[in-house]
Amino acid sequence: MEKLSSVKEGKYKIVDITKIGKLKKMCDLGILIGDIIEVIKPAPGPIIIKKGNITVAVGYGMAMDVIVEKIE
Amino acid sequence: MEEKIIAIAGNPNTGKTTIFNALTGTRQMVGNWPGVTVEKKEGYYIYKNIKFNVVDLPGTYTLTGESEDQKIAIEFLTSTKVDVLLIMADALNLERSLYFFTLLSEFHKNIIIVLNMIDLAEKEGIDYDISHLEQLLKVKIVKTIGNKNVGIEELKEEIYKRCKDIPSDFFIFNYGEEFEKSIKEIENNLPLLNFQYPKRFIVLKIMEKDEYFTNLLKDREEYKKIKEIIERIEKILKKPIEKFLIEKRYSIIHGIVKEIIIEKKKELKIELTEKIDKILTNNLLGPIIFLFIMFTIFHFVFFLGNPIKDFLEIILERIKNYFLNINLSIWSKSLIVDGIISGVGSVILFLPNIFLFFFLFAILEDTGYMARAAIISDRLMHKIGLHGKSAIPLILGFGCNVPAIMGTRILENKKDKILTSLAIPFMSCSARLPVYILFTGIFFKENQGLIIFSIYFLGILIGILSIKFFSYIFFKVESSPLIIELPIFRIPYWRNVIIEGWIKTKYFLKKAGTIIFLGTIILWFLNYFPNPQNYGTKLNFAGRIGNFISPIFKPAGYGFWQAGIALIFGIYAKELVVSTFGSFFGFENLSESLAFYFTPISSYAFMLMSLLYMPCIVTFIIIKKEVGIRWALFSLLWSLFVGWFCSTIFYQVFSFLKGG
Repeated sequence: MEKLSSVKEGKYKIVDITKIGKLKKMCDLGILIGDIIEVIKPAPGPIIIKKGNITVAVGYGMAMDVIVEKIE
Repeated sequence: MEEKIIAIAGNPNTGKTTIFNALTGTRQMVGNWPGVTVEKKEGYYIYKNIKFNVVDLPGTYTLTGESEDQKIAIEFLTSTKVDVLLIMADALNLERSLYFFTLLSEFHKNIIIVLNMIDLAEKEGIDYDISHLEQLLKVKIVKTIGNKNVGIEELKEEIYKRCKDIPSDFFIFNYGEEFEKSIKEIENNLPLLNFQYPKRFIVLKIMEKDEYFTNLLKDREEYKKIKEIIERIEKILKKPIEKFLIEKRYSIIHGIVKEIIIEKKKELKIELTEKIDKILTNNLLGPIIFLFIMFTIFHFVFFLGNPIKDFLEIILERIKNYFLNINLSIWSKSLIVDGIISGVGSVILFLPNIFLFFFLFAILEDTGYMARAAIISDRLMHKIGLHGKSAIPLILGFGCNVPAIMGTRILENKKDKILTSLAIPFMSCSARLPVYILFTGIFFKENQGLIIFSIYFLGILIGILSIKFFSYIFFKVESSPLIIELPIFRIPYWRNVIIEGWIKTKYFLKKAGTIIFLGTIILWFLNYFPNPQNYGTKLNFAGRIGNFISPIFKPAGYGFWQAGIALIFGIYAKELVVSTFGSFFGFENLSESLAFYFTPISSYAFMLMSLLYMPCIVTFIIIKKEVGIRWALFSLLWSLFVGWFCSTIFYQVFSFLKGG
């Protein structure tokens, strides 16, 4: 398990979002715990992730609290 | 005529504006929500002899009392008698759109879901069983393709029907038996409150620990009991209620969507957007492309705008000659010709450039590029101690500083708000554009685009350095986390772009007809009295004032009284800098006269001064409203200092280099 802020490009599963405020924000945009996401652009700079038709840029501070797991 | 109120709510990028434009056309006005400075868009249309007033609510993903935008939506929906609420749903992201629907269904009942962009969904091989969805949600659903005008007539008809025949059976989200009991329990403990939100909505918000709604209750005796109930529920759930609520809503929606989705060929791919994004947000290429796009915009503003401007000038001269040749008293002729036509006219001339500017910016917005620009700037923003989202109001500042400062509302952090507001006046607004066009047209004909670009660039640089400086001195707080959606790239939709360009230009025109018109009359008065035979000379009031302050500008290379008074009037509205020169020299002799007073170096120094020296009065008032009088005064003094300082340094250094 890794933090979203430190992963490379590829497919990941969101295992947890540790801060409740950040969880709320992600869920409002339609990104939920358990979702499979694709990292399109890793750090440095905002991390761009994609789930289906939703593409979201996540700031570094936010990504620190998103725990993901590599798929495949 | 009978009137009805229609509100449109929805996530950003669901085509809300497109539908709003399709319904109302250009019968729109942009105002402010009462008491706050968030932009309010209203319009109307007439259908079957009823006037439908349409209100475009701020685009949001959720409804909390913590954000100004969302609070407005909540307030509006509860306090105004909205006859029908349209909720935009994105056919490509139905789950998220329905999530928003579940939130709204808590306090408005007469809802139509506008399922937009169905063509894109069909392309991806998705179709929905709409009548089944209508049954499940107990609402009417209208399919639309906003940018092709498909479904708009059906929507109008459906709105009409809904106004006439209000349904009696509504969708109520069911959180499960146990949880519903707890909601009831808290409802029963809720004290009598002095506002009209539905009880169930307030209860849910308090359970979600929404700060705004919790604070409304905090001092009440009943709050203790409510808090106990919440803690009890969380013990049973073994998780925070807000997490439970999100999971519950999404799991039910997920079930619904699964039931109504008809066919799904394969996993959705919008690879093109993905590929473009990789390039556009690349750490190295991104900023280069960004600068290139900005430069191209400025180039087009002149390349296409200048011929029309020259044409307008001929017309204006005709009008002027007409008034010169008719029989009028000397003073009224002077007022019309020297005052109004020269003053207002010299601003009106820039209308084509201004329209193009807004038009091109609207294209950037409509394609989805703006969100990428925020991503590109995020690293820079962080380095200077700002939030990534600050880039959006800063970019808006190029249009007009006033809505830009209002735009700082999207920032959650007070510190980000203040710092961004301090930097916005350095973003060169469209009112300052005439100054540059005028001077570069005289002194830098060959490189007009490049020179103006450099001024914009210096504005940005100085804005950034100011922020860096102030965040270092005054603030040491962390920024709130960044999360922005990147909409799918698309070809700009011409109607949105033209309406957007036109509405903003209309605002400029209106300003020319009111504020600037008034300003030119005052200016004329100061130029005409006390010695009417010596109009626009040192002997009159304007000349005396100009003469009094002009020595300050001597070190910057433009220490003559006309420049002094032009800058003073520019505080009132920046367009008046040009108007003032126009009133002294007449717009047709403007170029020759200015070429006499200025050199290329001093003209650049003067442009720098016009860019930096002070926010205009309206901007000042808005800063005061948004972040308080102390910061507004501070912004004023700081920009005055920076403007004079930069302008002087530039003139001295370049004069020295040229001389040596």
